[in-house]
Amino acid sequence: MTAFYEWIAALARQGVLPSDFQYPFLIRGFFCVLVLAPILGGLSHLVVTRRMAFFSAALGQAALTGVAIGLLLGEPLNAPYGGMFGFCLLATLGMVFVKRHATLPPDTLIGVFHALTLGLGLCLLVAVTRQFNVHQVESVLFGSLLTVTDADLALLVAVGIIVTALLVRQYNRLLLDSLNPPLASVAGANSAFLEYFFAILLTVSIIVSLKIIGALLVEALIVVPAAAARNIAHGTRSYLAWSVGVAFLAGAGGLGISTKLLVPTGGAVVLAVSVIFFITLAISRFARGRRATA
Amino acid sequence: MSDRIDSPLLEIEHLAIRRNLEALLDDVSLRVARGSLHVIVGPNGAGKSTLLSAVLGLIPFSGRIILNWSRSGAIGYVPQSFPVDPTLPVTVEDFLALTRQRRPICLGLSATTRRTVVGILARVGLSGLERRALAVLSGGELRRVLLAHALDPEPELLILDEPTAGLDETAGQWLEDTLTTIKREGRTTILMVSHDLDQVRRIADRVTILDRRIVAEGSVAEVLATASIRDLLPVGSSRGGRR
Repeated sequence: MTAFYEWIAALARQGVLPSDFQYPFLIRGFFCVLVLAPILGGLSHLVVTRRMAFFSAALGQAALTGVAIGLLLGEPLNAPYGGMFGFCLLATLGMVFVKRHATLPPDTLIGVFHALTLGLGLCLLVAVTRQFNVHQVESVLFGSLLTVTDADLALLVAVGIIVTALLVRQYNRLLLDSLNPPLASVAGANSAFLEYFFAILLTVSIIVSLKIIGALLVEALIVVPAAAARNIAHGTRSYLAWSVGVAFLAGAGGLGISTKLLVPTGGAVVLAVSVIFFITLAISRFARGRRATA
Repeated sequence: MSDRIDSPLLEIEHLAIRRNLEALLDDVSLRVARGSLHVIVGPNGAGKSTLLSAVLGLIPFSGRIILNWSRSGAIGYVPQSFPVDPTLPVTVEDFLALTRQRRPICLGLSATTRRTVVGILARVGLSGLERRALAVLSGGELRRVLLAHALDPEPELLILDEPTAGLDETAGQWLEDTLTTIKREGRTTILMVSHDLDQVRRIADRVTILDRRIVAEGSVAEVLATASIRDLLPVGSSRGGRR
């Protein structure tokens, strides 16, 4: 990878690429964005259609608790993946199971899990800060390009390929199940399987994104791209394309803001995606107004 | 009809469904003749939609449901409601393609799928609406799209849950004519829930009155003449349910 980074840096020095690409961490961050955009943008439009925005927020908080558990169990500070994967998968399976078997509204049940994981996470973080400086944990909370390693990028690429391959196989059934579960069942889909399947894919994707976006902000990149895309899309194909496009623009824009202004990457990405959302909202209003007067 | 009842497509034996301690359906036994149009009527809360859900395998039950397939074994289903998020950018052709191609529809529709969608939309009188978003369709148009979805591939059993509820006179008449045509072709058995007794008289072969258990069952003339039915569903009750 070093030779590759040096080649990119040389192109930046020659003026072929922006000068920021002289730094390996920034090149790595850009590739992370390139991989993250299709994963999160692709999942985003299904998350919004399946009304799982709050679920994603709860998962972000669960990841925070997972980090604390991982660190307490002795995982390295820059890769507490065991704790994150373990606790988030447990929280995901718990939320889906309870949602499917309880009579309370889903958002109420997810609210319970949300509070539980956050409370547990805060208690454990206090224990963690006895061993680490709290600023060392900030990168997981808010995202930081400086802590992203080549191993993180490799993990992101591997997860991206697996998630995409699995999603392609089930996409049509997932969408039909989102629109009308009985129709999907009649068409041969297993609604319970699809719910667990999608929740697990979402969990894994969120976890590998955390070091870039941050646990507290990852929800934004799961929800806002699709929300922005809905303002301007006219079919499922353009819905996906805009979701991925918005995620990429927000990622690249956030990366630029983060580097120039020295602010956390996650916060910068969320600001960028929010600005894009309001731009698409304005476009949508304008287009509707024109149609009304035509 | 008696011949067809001897070889029913659908047999339900001692079906019971409970939720918590409440019996939603109790000891329901029913036979639906092959090629017939069988209508289930009953007051609100009688368990009509629950019965259809059990036949579709969507909810657990005790008892037996036997489907004696002779051809494809395909079931077409038109649900009672189909709420569509008003901002959802899924078009009519996207929706109809969901079960007609393996490739994810977000990657585009194949030429074959497009041709199929055009054909099935023409069959329900909605030619040209392929690119229209589901969210902007009228209630009648949406019901036609759902029927188009249910009719391809040709089902051996077509299940409709109050298909004319909320439709205006013209849309209701169109649906009635379509069901009559399907019945005449004789390849599809239709099981339908309805509140509209006038419509039941016009199109049904057999009627079952359900009120968590079977109250009456038989031909239209036999069943709709009994006094108890008038108590359950006043004659003249029309679309929208019990008065």
